[in-house]
Amino acid sequence: MENSLQKLTEAIKTGKRNEARVATQAALDAGIVPESILSALSEGMDDVGCRFKANNIFVPEVLVAARAMKTSMEILGPELVKSGIEPEHTLVIGTVQGDMHDIGKNLVAMMMKGANFKVIDLGTNVPAQTILDAALEHKADLVGLSALLTTTMPAMRETVTLLRTERHPFKVIIGGAPISQEFADEIGADGFATDAASTVELARSLVSSS
Amino acid sequence: MTGKEILLKALRNEPTPRVPWVPFVGVHGGSLAGFDAKDYLESAERIVAGLKIAAERYKPDGFPVVFDLQLEAEILGCQLTWAKETPPAVTSHPLGPDYAIEALPEFSVDKGRMPLALEAVRQIKRDLGEEVALYGLLTGPLTLALHLRGDDVLLDMFDEEDGVEKLFDYCAGIANQMVDAYLEAGIDVIAVVDPMISQIGPDHFTDSVAPHLNDIFAHIRDKGALSSLFVCGNATRNLEAMCSTVCDNISVDENVDLAALAKVARASGKSFGGNLQLTKVLLLGDTNDTKREVVRCLDQAGEGTGFVLAPGCDLPYAVKPENLEAVAELARDPYQIEVARKLPPKDSNDAFDDFSIPTYSAEPAVIVDVVTLDSAGCAPCAYMLAAAKKAASEYGLPIDVREHKITCRDGLAYMAKLGVTAIPSICVDGQEQFASIIPDRKELVARYANAAAAK
Repeated sequence: MENSLQKLTEAIKTGKRNEARVATQAALDAGIVPESILSALSEGMDDVGCRFKANNIFVPEVLVAARAMKTSMEILGPELVKSGIEPEHTLVIGTVQGDMHDIGKNLVAMMMKGANFKVIDLGTNVPAQTILDAALEHKADLVGLSALLTTTMPAMRETVTLLRTERHPFKVIIGGAPISQEFADEIGADGFATDAASTVELARSLVSSS
Repeated sequence: MTGKEILLKALRNEPTPRVPWVPFVGVHGGSLAGFDAKDYLESAERIVAGLKIAAERYKPDGFPVVFDLQLEAEILGCQLTWAKETPPAVTSHPLGPDYAIEALPEFSVDKGRMPLALEAVRQIKRDLGEEVALYGLLTGPLTLALHLRGDDVLLDMFDEEDGVEKLFDYCAGIANQMVDAYLEAGIDVIAVVDPMISQIGPDHFTDSVAPHLNDIFAHIRDKGALSSLFVCGNATRNLEAMCSTVCDNISVDENVDLAALAKVARASGKSFGGNLQLTKVLLLGDTNDTKREVVRCLDQAGEGTGFVLAPGCDLPYAVKPENLEAVAELARDPYQIEVARKLPPKDSNDAFDDFSIPTYSAEPAVIVDVVTLDSAGCAPCAYMLAAAKKAASEYGLPIDVREHKITCRDGLAYMAKLGVTAIPSICVDGQEQFASIIPDRKELVARYANAAAAK
């Protein structure tokens, strides 16, 4: 029984989607509660995040791990719903208006799913109002904004300004190649992270402090 | 020796009389010529107009003619979305999981915007080609593969190796067609721009990407031209592997420690370039920030051959022209580099309260403050000081000429308190009168007389 959970964690770490599928099914068949299987899955993604942050693995390895996780979740997801287990926190994420780049945003979305956040991905080139509307609709705990271009940094500023016009319960986190902590402070974001793995840590700390 | 010759020697890792300077003017050329990115990148005439202004203002030793990594992708069926101040972005990826490359539109340099890009090369070659080395930029195989297949290509590297290999090979073939067309139009240096290399590790780079890059670099070498590998993003982990390819030059952005690249590149016999900070300094900073940044690059590049001073990547549309002019000034004048070394740090709030300057109006004689680097070791400073003294002796009335060296705190205090804009500088009774340029003696005597009359 423990063996299948270990196999699942290992399959996620190495990005083996077929092994992840088999291990997930085996764990369910062995009667392991879905919550424990989810923990094994998250353990694998946490390990991936740590190695990514430490520059031991790179974007392709993270993508392949996330794909294995997705394969596992296709089986596990319905069981979690049946058991009434839902992610505790919701992230609404998008690349700001005028910016078409999505690799960084996608990585963050995948890592956050791996960390058991519910992720609403609005895609790229998202107007500020759309982000605000989605955050309210989905009762987001966090709003994540991405920008790759220096020229779309003003759109990020405008989006944060709109999100801040009224008092909302969500925190705003930002990231992307030209973004810095200095810029985050300047525009009034609650947090900034340099990479997808750090975003998970930041998100966990922000939701636990709110 | 022309700037172009200096640059080409540096790219070959040969000794040069100074460090060459290559501003990566892309859409910024549109800003200079008054066009948005789309209007600029869709017209040979506008590109040429922008580059001519850039050549005039930034005094480059070389520059790219077109900086747009979507040229090939557009021809191959990727949809582009345009913005006003950036090159277009690829928003669709026509290649599916079956890797049916043969179903893609046939590539030709006669399609898409390539004819206008090549026309721009021919025109700028005719007008500036003797003085300025022209870079022809093409999309590297990994980045072009991502344009065609999306980021699925990164996943496919794990379980669709044959398809990915076929795709990279195809992309390298397209690159070689670009090489032939660019060289025929008059390009001097081919830059293979592959920013996505910063997203993969050394194993994937060496096993999957480097062989195809080498196909391109070998082709460029066979044609007798020089090659550069441009990688934006943090490519630190791949530097050694990048230096193991057969290109002539490696160019990186601010995410890479230039000192680390200098070490690896020189050990591999390659030239290298970079990595002026694009946003924080060139776009948002001022000229003094820029000068400090040039000094940082030169110091990190260190002693030895083969360094090319350049921004980290495509210059932002709205980059401040005065910042690039400041780079050009330093690149061509070692004396200005020494002056820049004496600039106080950016975060310095030093008001020099421990130094007081005279109340000039209350002084009986006219006071001439000559702010220098040091007249003992710097020729322009010595001439400036001598000019001030000779004019004083010709003026004949009591006058006090003082040198303030910015190698000392006294000089820095005078520089700050008098608002000196360049070194050397002559200030008469507290007012800067001549900055950098040594004045005509009669003119200087007249300024002395005016100052005396104003007392």
